[in-house]
Amino acid sequence: MNILTQELKMEWKSLVVWCISLISVLLFFMLMYPSISAQMADFQKVFNSFPIEFQRALGVENLNIGNVLGYYTFTMTYILLAGAVQAMNLGVSVLSSEVRDKTGDFLFVKPVSRRRIISMKMLAVFIQIVITNAAFFIASWLILTMISSTSFDTNLFILLTGTLFFIQIFFASFGFFISVFLRRIKTVLPISMGVVFLFYIIFLLNETLKDVKLGYISPFDYFALSAISKNMSYDSVYLVLWTFLVFLFVYLTFHVFGKKDLPSI
Amino acid sequence: MNVIEINHLTKYYGKHRGIEDVSFSVADGEIFGFIGPNGSGKSTTIRTLLSLIYPTSGTATIFGKDCIKYGKEIRQHIGYLPSEVFYYENMKVIDVLKYSASFYEHVNLRRIETLAGTLDLDLHKRIDDLSYGNKKKVGIVQGLLHEPKLIILDEPTSGLDPLMQQKFFELIQNENKKGATVLFSSHILTEVQKMCARVAIIKDGTIIKVENIHNLRENNYKKFTLEFKGPLNLSCFKFDGITNMSQDEKTLHFLFRGDINKVISSLQGQVLQNMLVEEPTLEEIFIHYYQKED
Repeated sequence: MNILTQELKMEWKSLVVWCISLISVLLFFMLMYPSISAQMADFQKVFNSFPIEFQRALGVENLNIGNVLGYYTFTMTYILLAGAVQAMNLGVSVLSSEVRDKTGDFLFVKPVSRRRIISMKMLAVFIQIVITNAAFFIASWLILTMISSTSFDTNLFILLTGTLFFIQIFFASFGFFISVFLRRIKTVLPISMGVVFLFYIIFLLNETLKDVKLGYISPFDYFALSAISKNMSYDSVYLVLWTFLVFLFVYLTFHVFGKKDLPSI
Repeated sequence: MNVIEINHLTKYYGKHRGIEDVSFSVADGEIFGFIGPNGSGKSTTIRTLLSLIYPTSGTATIFGKDCIKYGKEIRQHIGYLPSEVFYYENMKVIDVLKYSASFYEHVNLRRIETLAGTLDLDLHKRIDDLSYGNKKKVGIVQGLLHEPKLIILDEPTSGLDPLMQQKFFELIQNENKKGATVLFSSHILTEVQKMCARVAIIKDGTIIKVENIHNLRENNYKKFTLEFKGPLNLSCFKFDGITNMSQDEKTLHFLFRGDINKVISSLQGQVLQNMLVEEPTLEEIFIHYYQKED
């Protein structure tokens, strides 16, 4: 328990900042909705005039901004991107910070097993992701209810907002996995930004190519918002793949980090 | 009973040698010195004992238990002070120490205050406001607060002023009197000389010798310094037992081991300005060990 409390104590400020940022981005986009929806026809015309590839890349293909959830979907694309960076940051830094800040010689000589340290740190990341999602879910519900004059499909809202959780869990576990292989990580943000945008570019590329195999590479494809809106559900194949990969990354993290030599100062 | 037993411990970092075939043991209740130049493998050995790194081959046991397999239980009774200390920068000293204490069973939190008092450490400052020496004090307190049965010190005195070093040595000696075993690694021989009964000498990853400090000094090495009035006749001093000979102008320095009369008789007929016969310092004896290897 002490490791968990310590982690949360050290991270709570950054967690608050991330939550506020995500919600602010959403609020910023959603506040524009009333004026956009008033001139809906013009916007639709502008978007439709773009080449189809470009529309797909922007996430505005089949966009129905006449509906508040349609516009919310468009906003979520960017929320997911930011959320992925946050989760990846958490994942990469949680184990590597002990090496980076040279506190490993403090923590790892305590009478506690490596496995326990790893699991407590993972749990701390999980809790932070849950808090982020809870805060975001409540805030987005409030914002949407406030802004929309008509009612919206609750099911679809939950499905769309839920993607943040799945994307974050994926990137956090991928972050753990990466962090145990890199010998000494000086700064975390470039790594997480790099990885997240790489996956995002693959996803964008695939939005135009529509290649099934390529879709397996990027987690953004697993939870493609346009497909979710169309099918009103998550893709079960992708869900299985997601579960498998998350477990694989977590398993490998335990396996590799459990036997890793901790570099001396 | 031996508290530490190291058997043919070898650690390679890839192709790079850490230590090779290191074996020695530390008995219950002793202060054992671990001496060697920088990069000789002292820290590698210690980090293996603490299972921070895993050996390539060989084993080590602490309290009779394998130090990797039973690492968690063993570390309950180990206090470790590394040469360089780093703590969570944003925390207060007292919070770091309480966090440290939270890992151990039956910790008397009053001990934190007692130790901090002895070392003159302000418990309510933030870690990143501390000077290096003060961080080191945090290290000492967190290493001793759970009254460990085995204290492992890896070049502990760097960053401490002489007064603090003195207090630190007193603390360690007190713990030792109460029954703690101490493994004291250092490259500063005088401090080892002061503290330890036995030492292991390590060089280039291998143990050269394990010896009583007493024996080392009793090895009958004498340090001669001869200052000549007249011309210096080196040929008189070419016999067995003389080592580390050096000469500047009219002064001759050497270490001698053996029958002292040999030196006296070879001095017959020489005109001396001055003559000093001293106990060599451990440094000089060790330099001798190192050179013998080359």
